[in-house]
Formats: sequence, structure tokens, C-alpha cells
Amino acid sequence: MNRWIIPALAAIAATAQDARQIVDEAQKRARSNSQHYEGTLQVLDGKNRMAEKRWQYDRIGAFGDSKAVLRFTAPAEVKGVALLIHNHKDRASDQWMWTPAIQRDRRIALQDRSTRFFGTDFSFEDLEERDSAHHDYKLLGEETVEGAVCWKLESQPRPGRSSQYTRSLVWIRKDLYAFVRVEAFRKDALVRRIRYGDFENVKGIWTARTLEVEDVTRKSKTVMKLDKLDYNVPLSESGFTLQALRRGS
Amino acid sequence: MIRLSQVSKCFDGKRTVTALHPTDLHIDKGEMVAIIGPSGSGKSTLLNLIGGLDRPTSGEIELDGERLGGLSGDGVTRVRRDKIGFIFQFFNLLPSLSCFDNVALPLHLRGWPRAKIQQRSQELLELVGLGARMEHLPDEMSGGERQRTAIARALSVYPPVLLADEPTGNLDSATGADILRLISDLHQRLNTTVLIVTHDMQVAHAAQRILTLRDGRIADDRRL
Amino acid sequence: MTLLRLLTWPYVRKHRLRSVLTLAGIMLGVAVFVGMHGANQTVAQAFAATVNRIAGKAQLQVSAGETGVPEEVLEAVQSVREVGAAAPVIEAVLNTNLKGQGNLLVLGVDMTGDRSLRDYDIEGGEEDVVEDPLVFLAQPDSLILSRKFAEANGIQRGSRITLDTMQGPRQFTVRGLMKSDGLAGAFGGNVAVMDIYAAQFIFGRGRRFDRIDIGAAEGVDLETSQNKVRAVVGEGYDVLPPASRTQQFDAISRSLSITINLTSVFALMIGVFIIYNSFSIAITQRRNEIGILRALGASERDVLRMFLAESAAAGLAGSILGLGLGLLMARSLSPFMSNMVRELYGTHQMPDGVSMSPWTMAAAVALGTAVSLVGGWLPARSAARVDPVKALQKGRYQVLSEGENRIRRIAALVLAAVSIAIVVTRPTLTIFYFGYGLMVLALVLLSPSLSHWIALSLRPLLRLIRPVEGTLAADSLIQAPRRTSATVAAVMLSLALAVGFAGVSRAIYTQLLDWVDDTLNPDLFVAPTESVTQRSYRFPLSMTSEIAQVPGVEEVQAVRTVRVQLKGVPAMAVVVDVRQVAGRVKYKPVDADPVEMVQLASEGKGAILSTTLAVIRGIKKGDVLELASPEGILKVPVLGTRVDFSDQQGAFIIDRSLYSRVWKDETANAFRVYLRKGEDPEAVRRRIIERFSSNRKLFVFTNASIRELIMRNTEQWFGMTYIQLLVALIVAVMGIVNTMTVSIADRRRELGVLQAVGGLRNQIRNTVWLEAVAIGTVGLVLGWLMGAVTLYYNIEMIGGDMAGLDLDYVYPFRFALALFPVIVGAAFLAALWPAEAALRASLVESLEYE
Repeated sequence: MNRWIIPALAAIAATAQDARQIVDEAQKRARSNSQHYEGTLQVLDGKNRMAEKRWQYDRIGAFGDSKAVLRFTAPAEVKGVALLIHNHKDRASDQWMWTPAIQRDRRIALQDRSTRFFGTDFSFEDLEERDSAHHDYKLLGEETVEGAVCWKLESQPRPGRSSQYTRSLVWIRKDLYAFVRVEAFRKDALVRRIRYGDFENVKGIWTARTLEVEDVTRKSKTVMKLDKLDYNVPLSESGFTLQALRRGS
Repeated sequence: MIRLSQVSKCFDGKRTVTALHPTDLHIDKGEMVAIIGPSGSGKSTLLNLIGGLDRPTSGEIELDGERLGGLSGDGVTRVRRDKIGFIFQFFNLLPSLSCFDNVALPLHLRGWPRAKIQQRSQELLELVGLGARMEHLPDEMSGGERQRTAIARALSVYPPVLLADEPTGNLDSATGADILRLISDLHQRLNTTVLIVTHDMQVAHAAQRILTLRDGRIADDRRL
Repeated sequence: MTLLRLLTWPYVRKHRLRSVLTLAGIMLGVAVFVGMHGANQTVAQAFAATVNRIAGKAQLQVSAGETGVPEEVLEAVQSVREVGAAAPVIEAVLNTNLKGQGNLLVLGVDMTGDRSLRDYDIEGGEEDVVEDPLVFLAQPDSLILSRKFAEANGIQRGSRITLDTMQGPRQFTVRGLMKSDGLAGAFGGNVAVMDIYAAQFIFGRGRRFDRIDIGAAEGVDLETSQNKVRAVVGEGYDVLPPASRTQQFDAISRSLSITINLTSVFALMIGVFIIYNSFSIAITQRRNEIGILRALGASERDVLRMFLAESAAAGLAGSILGLGLGLLMARSLSPFMSNMVRELYGTHQMPDGVSMSPWTMAAAVALGTAVSLVGGWLPARSAARVDPVKALQKGRYQVLSEGENRIRRIAALVLAAVSIAIVVTRPTLTIFYFGYGLMVLALVLLSPSLSHWIALSLRPLLRLIRPVEGTLAADSLIQAPRRTSATVAAVMLSLALAVGFAGVSRAIYTQLLDWVDDTLNPDLFVAPTESVTQRSYRFPLSMTSEIAQVPGVEEVQAVRTVRVQLKGVPAMAVVVDVRQVAGRVKYKPVDADPVEMVQLASEGKGAILSTTLAVIRGIKKGDVLELASPEGILKVPVLGTRVDFSDQQGAFIIDRSLYSRVWKDETANAFRVYLRKGEDPEAVRRRIIERFSSNRKLFVFTNASIRELIMRNTEQWFGMTYIQLLVALIVAVMGIVNTMTVSIADRRRELGVLQAVGGLRNQIRNTVWLEAVAIGTVGLVLGWLMGAVTLYYNIEMIGGDMAGLDLDYVYPFRFALALFPVIVGAAFLAALWPAEAALRASLVESLEYE
């Protein structure tokens, strides 16, 4: 899942040439042809105790033009529910959902990307793969975040590119070219904060195995963990179709 | 025939008005009595009490041996319809009924069979000299004729007592005399006890006894 | 004003009962008006509120009657650039099985799509509506309830509730609660939301939606997007703003509105008579006073003004009280009416309180006041014309002048002649109704003369019963026309209304019974709900053979009843295998050869119309029905018409082959089951229930019970007759009490004389009672007569114009006769108090009374 998130928030081009270079480098280093992992997700907000969810994730294809399948394995109520995402370079992604209890697939015709992703603290927008060219950014300087030296950048959506956020602050580790923190603002208010941790080098790609998303206004936190992470695994295109979704392989 | 002992009548209003102070009176069978006095002296009240149209405030009235005091409303009505005939100043005929039907009215109320009513009414109308005007409505008759009809109605069952309240008061003097003659005649022929309330001395002198009332008391009781 | 205070007020205080009755007359008229319209508006409002709240911000809706919209249409609509948002909807009303809660409106919506259209906001606000959206979507038993409904029933998040579905009672899990405004306020708050695909599955909708809600794209005007969507979906679908559903509601409930208007007009007319009555009486009694006034220098105008001011004041006060009473009436009437409307037209609404437009309320008060002025006008004028000299003399002035009577009679005859001419020539419907009005007016004008004659002929009869009391009662009636004529007219009008309505009901009933005998002849009926008109649930067609395999069953006929848009207004299609049904049901068309008609219909080459549909829509044999269908406008020739009560708004029969081909709908609303000879229906009924008990909710009715059900539904509609009868009775009692209190005053001397010459108390009572009974009887006889006339018009109107039935004119003799004891009883009741009052009067004073 971080494969969607990181590029999305990293889609940050800067007015300053060096800022854009930093982001481009980060994106380049994270690039892979396919990905597999098993995810765990927990929402912690004091009031609601949503059950921990587990799923398996497969992705095929390059950044911005990829296809992904996400299949829930736990808890029992959602077991078998699956999502198919086709990302497009030029337009919003197509998404389908399969619900085994009624043997139906449905198109998720989402008209408002700021809505939360199934009760988590992610919004659908946070999960999109989007081109860095859609943003402008600026290098603000250097800061140390959790013991690591980082570049601090500010990104803003380019005119004509809609986003729920007016601007974001991004921290990228100098040593790994990996995102460690993002703070997204609406007007001048901080609305979402994402922290990356547990970095591990898998087949040459430094990947955060823990993500913590905080919805500041709701005072709610979602923690996501990635296990059995692997890149460039052999996957077939035929596994990323609606038919495959229905078969529920 | 008629006996009043300590009979009085008060009217309750904003202040109590005594229309008749406690009075004793005895009238024998077959007497013809005139009651005179100025207006408001209690003569109509006395007549209404005797006729059972009104109830006394105190005292006891006895009519042909029946004590009215102990009777219910309908009981008084029964005594009245069997023993008393009423004649009013304004005749009190029912305008929608013919002369004949007006006379038959009390007989119907008694539940007499139709044939008997027919016979009796005819007899009565002939008695008062109206045999020819039976089908006329009251409006179509003269005052004298109307009063004759009323008298015929009062006599319907040949009651022992006839009560007349100013019977000539609404008639011209000739007709009045006519009616008076009729009443005296009936009194003699039928031996009916007659009480006439009047302020006409001529009428009063047709009686054998004159009671004079003043301020609710019998001021004078004179036999002629 | 000074006059009013000096003269009217003391009079009002002295005649308290009569004053109350006067007010009550107006009050009743206005209350009936307000009650009926209020209930109707409340139901319409409730319907509109539900429609609007469900529609949310949707500007357009794509629908196709009850056949629904296939999923492909949604994709087509979403592809239109001028469409901003398009979201599918499924609506179903389920029985909650909760005490006192009745039904729940369940709305299937696409929770992942249409949040911009609907105001239910599953995540905003302080607290999440749904705890775990993923679980909600994954589990088809998920439900969001309105907080109001949940709180009223002690339901919390995670609670389970049982609802009746097509698969039998089913447990649902409440996974969310929504705030009680916006969407949750629809259907009186009895609302639940579920996932649309789960709703498809649970309500047997297949791959269809009931509707698609649309919001226009930003900067696109409504008309443009409407045209674009129309172009994409074709003519088979309606693309209309949500408000048009409200208009459709008005169209389908038109017959109800007509009935309500008719009743209201009668009620107000009756109010006129009661006012007229009271004022005539008051003026007769106050002649002396008027005479003195006139002698003291008051002009005719002053007197007229005084009495008109009196009637306006009475009218205003009565109207305001009537408004209050009417609103109470509306409150208790609206659930009843809502139920009826739902049964008849299949709309969902839940009236909550009373909603009535301020305009109607103002109109009611204005009408009441106007009615009072109209009723007071004639008496006021005659008061103004009182000759001061004559007024100060004593005597009776009750008799109507012969001249006045003659003018009335002539006017009545002219009006009647015009009305008859209209009936004969039949120019237009509006003029025909106008003719009805003229005829009513003619009869009203004629009623004093008629009641005089009837009273005259009653006299010998009464004389026979009670020589004295009877005769006097009759005379009292004959001689005081002013006192009685208005009461008689009011009784006449109200009874005529009841008789006319009863006659039509009877006639419809007879035809309905014929139809039931002819058409509803299966031994058993299998339906998904207890109500035959509810169409939220359906069966798959495959059940036909499953039922047929139940031992004892000989034949099963599947019936699909579905409202299809016919020129923009829904009409009921009855889909059957025509040949199969014709084997059991004798189709008796009024205008076609039955053999040919059945032949063509069974080949899917045409439709068999109900006469109702034919009349309401002005369609005849040989015309072409233009039905909205997935293939666009489907042209179906009309093969013939027959009497058919399948739907109050009319229905048409088409063959299953045609319907399946075009609509691709393989469901049924009911099965008609014929048994083998000698089988016990009850035994087979149990077998069918057992056979399906595990996987289907179904009800099996025997022939007798379905008849009973249909008759019960019909009775509900005919319940109007009883309301009218009740109004008639109240009017009769009020009018008679009014007249009798005056009568005993007028007859005081007469009654005194009667007692003086030996009348017993019961004999006095008798004469008062007999007069009242005589008034009632005269009104009744006139009501019978006028009822014969109104029945004619009702048959033409309700039978012809509204229901499209060629009804026979059969006078409801049994009903009319049954009225006799009822009216006599009411009259007697009305006379009880006046009779006792007469007895209480002082004899001595009565005899001096003049």
C-alpha cells in the first residue's frame, strides 16, 4: 500500500531545481515493476475500536500506470472482500470492489476524493498514484527527524490541479532518499500527518514497513504494517482483471 | 266542593312578592261565585291555584274531596281534566284546529273513542249555539263565537267546576252579556259550580256570591 | 358596533344553546372542509417530504414506473458530460414487526458513490455514522437507521432487528445511526439505508435499480442535462425533476380529491342552511326589537348592517373554532387516508402531525365567514324590511308570503330545466358538473314548497297516530316554514349526499363482485405479503413450476403487476400468460370479440384494457398504448376493454411473452393456483407453505380469504359513506335541536293550553317529539328524492369520469330505508331536551304568553 502513498505525497516538483531533483531521485529509487506484501492495519482513535484488518497486496506495472489487487483476509466479516485498482497517468484511477457475500463486484465511482478510505485515516486522494509534475515545491532547509538528517520541502498543487490540501510539508532522509514525514495542510491548518518508520532494504529499495497516519482534526490514528515485502516478483497481468477479481483466486 | 285552608302564594324574584296571604275559603257545590278586586289583588292567582295551574306556597286545596297537595304534576292534571273546565280572557283556542277540533281536544287527551268524541263535541257545540260553525278555524269566527267555542271546550266532560278568568274581558258589552247569559244558563242547567274572576260589576252581580280581594286577602265575602 | 353590543350580545346570552348551535353549524362545515383537505394535504405533504428528503440534492431522476432501470443505464448516464453525479436508488417499505412502528422505508444507495447528492453524510460530524464502512459493505445485512427510529425502539449500534424480506424474516445488523434530519427525516423518520447491491439482492431486484438520481454538472443548466440524459437513455425512461413525482401523486389521487371537494362543498352548504335557520328564527323572535329600533330612527341599512355584522362575527368565530376542530379531525383522519392512498396507489409516506398550507386555512376561515354571510343575507334583508308598525303589533309572522314562494318555485323550475338541458346535450364535463350544481340549487329552492306539501300529507298520518299531539305537531310544521325549512333543507342535502354515495358504492360493489366472481376464481393465491397491493417484494418466475409440483396442485398461473409509464403517468400492467388464464377466466370485453381478443393478446400483439383506464386516459379499442419501455416507446394496440378492478387507476393486461421480451423481467408478484378436483384447499395451502418455509416468505390465501381482503380494501374506500352519514346525522340533530328550541318557544301558549285542558306530561312530550320526528321525516323524504338525483350525477361522475365504469342506476333502497329509523332516532334524540324544557315552563306564564 505504501507504493501508492509515497509517490502521491512525493509528487512534489519544486520551483528550485534542487528540490525537484531530490523528489525525482526519491521516486526513482523507489521504482519497481511489481510488488507483494501482507498488510496489517489498525485504527486507534479512542472512541471506535475497529477490528484489525489484514490483507494481501499485489501490484504490477510501473508507477502511474500500475494495476493492483488488494484482498482482505481478516477479520471474518470482511474476508474475501477485494479491491482492484487500475491507475492511469492521465486521469483518475478506476476502482472496483468485490463483495463475496452477495457475489457482486461494483465500480467505486468516487466523486469526492477527500472522503476517507473505508473508515481509516487515509483519504482516497492519499492513496492515488500521481505524477510529481502536478506539484510545485520549494526547499525550506534541513531538519533532523527521529535521529536522521532530512531535507524539508514544501509542496503546493499546481494551478488547475485539484487537491483537498492547500500545501504539504515533506521530510526526505538524506541518506536513503526516503520519505519519513509528511504534514498536509488545508488552508493554514494541519489536517494530516504521516510518519514512516522501520526502514528495510528489500531488493535494493529502502522501504518503510510501518506507516502511521494521523488525522489531526479527528484526533485519530491509523497504523499500517507491511510484512513479507518483496519487489519485482513474477506476477501475471491476468490476475489484475475484473474476471480475476470475481474468481477471488 | 272547593275548600282552601291557609293557602298562600309567594313569587320569588329579587324580592319575594306575596300574591296571596294565607286564606281560608269554602265554596259549596252549585254555587256561582264572582271574584273581584283591582288588578294585582290576587284574584287570578286564586283562580289558578284552585284550577291546579299553579301550586300554593303553603296550605291545602281540596277539590271535590281530592287534596291537590299530595298529587304529582300528572295527578293534578288528571283532577283538572276530570273536574275543572277553564275559560280564558283570550280564549286560548288553538288557531290551527277547527272549532270542532278545539272542543274535541280535551276528549282526545282523555283517550275517548272517536265516535264518542264526535257525538259529545257536537252536543256541546249545539249547547253553546255553534252547531253550524263546527268546521271553521278560530280566525274565521267572531270574538263571541270564539268564547263560546272555549266554553264548549271547558264543558267537554261536564266538569263539576267551571273556572272563568275575565271571560268577557275581551268582548264588546253586548257579546259579553251574551256570554254571561250562557254561563249562568249552564250553571243552572248543569248545576255546575262556577267561579268567575272579573272586574266588571255587571258580571259580578250575575253571581250569588261575590268575593272581593285586596292586596292578596279576601276583604269581603258577600252573598247576594 | 354599538347596536351589536347593545342588542346582539344580550340575545346571544339569553339564547345560549341556539347561539352555540349556530356557531356549531359553521364550525361543522369548516371542520369538514379543513379536516378533509387537511388530511389530504398532510398525506400529499408527507409524500412530498419523503420524496424530497430522499431525493436530497438530486435535480433529475431517471425512472421507468415500477419496472426499474437496468444497471447499464446507470453507466450510460454517468458517461454523460452534463451529468455531475449519478447515483442509483432502491426503495422498499418493509414491515418492522415492531409494536406501533409499522413500516420502515429502506433505501438502497451506493455508499461509495453518491454522497454529493444525498444528505446522509456517513462520516462527517462529531461521530462516525458507520463504525467500519468496509464491514458495512461486506455484509449484506448491514443497515443504517435514523437515530429517531433507533431511539424510539431502543436500538443501538450492533443491535439486530428482524425485517420481512422476500426470503422470509431476516435479521439485519444495525451498523450505523444517522442524524434525524435530511434523509433521515423522510417517511416520518422511519428510514433505514443499506448498500444498494445488498438491496438488489435482498429485494429481488436483479441487476436493476428503482431509479437513478442525477445532479447536473457544474455550470450546466437543468434543461440541458435533462435533454442530454434523455438522448442517452431513450424514450423508455422518464427523466424528470423529483418534484414531478409529487405532481403524479396529485394526478393519481384525483378521484380522492374530487370526493373530498364534493363533501366539503356539501358541508359548507349545510353550514349556510344552519346559519340561515338560526338567523331567520332570531329575526322572527326579535321583530319587536327591530320594530322599536326602526321606530327610533334606525334605517333599513342600519338594521341590515347589524344583522350582517352578526352573521360575519358568528361566521368568523365558528370558522376559527372549525379550523381547530378540522385540524384535529385531519390529524386523526390522515393516517387512515395515508393507508388508503398507499393501498390504492402504492405510494410511500408517513404523515406526521398535520401539515396544511396557510392558504387553505385562510381559505377555510374566509369560506366559513362567507358562508355565514350568505346564510345570513336573506334573513337580514327581511329584517331590514320589517315594517315598524306591524312589528310592534302582536301575532304570528311565520308564514312565507305566497309571492316569495312562487318566485322560488319558478327559479327552481328554470334552474332544473337548464340542468336537464345540460344533461341531455352534454357539452363538456365542466358544464355537466355545473349542471349538477344548478340541479342542487333548484332542489334547495324547491325544498320549502316540497316540505310544505309533505308536511300536509303527513298531517292525516300523524293525526291517525296521535289525534291531538300528532295533529298539533304537523300544524306546527306547516305553519312555521321559516322555522323548519332550513333545517329540512340541511337534512335533505346531507342525506342526499349519503344516499348518492351509497348508491354509487353499491353499484361499484356489484360490479366488483361480478369481477371477483369471474376473475378471482383460483383456489389459492400465493403472494409475498399479506397485502395484495404491496409490490415491494416479488418472486422469481421459476417458482411457478416449484408450486406446480406441490401435490394437489393442477395449474399455476404467474401474475406480474407492475406500473408502467403510459404517457408520463403510471398505469398498472397485469402481466400473465393470456392463453393460460383465458382457460380459467372468461374474458368478457364490452367492445370486442373475446376469442379474437384472447388470441391476439396471447400472441403479444396487443393489450386488454380495463374500462377504467380507457375512460381516465380517453383510450378506446383500436387505439395504441404508448408504453415507456427499455426499448423506447413501445406501441401496443388496444384489443378491447373489459371491467377490471385490478387497480383503481385502471389497468391493462399484456402477455408474459411480450413483457419478458421487452422488459427482461422474470419475476412475479403473485401466483394463481388451481387445485385438482377434490383436493382440500386448506391442506394444499399448508403443503405450499411447508414446501417454501425454509427459503421464502410467502402468504397463501384461500379464495375466500382473498375475497374478504379485497372487500375489506373496498370497504375502506366506501367508509366515506359512513363519514358522510355521520355528518348528516350531526346536521340533522343540530338543525332539529335548533328548530325545536324555537318551536317550543313559539308553541309555548299552545302547549300551556294543552296542559290546562288536561294534557298529561307525556302527551306534551309526544307532541314535541312528533314534531321533531316529522321534521326529520320531511327532511328524509326530501333526502330520498334528492338522493335519487345526486345518485344520477354521482354515477356519471364517479362511475363515468373517475372510475370509467358503466354503472347501473340502482337506487339504494335498503340503505334509504335503513336511514328511516336512524333519522327518526336522531330526531327523537334531538327533541328530548326541548321537550323537557317545554315541560319546565310555567303554565300560568305560558297561558299569558303572547
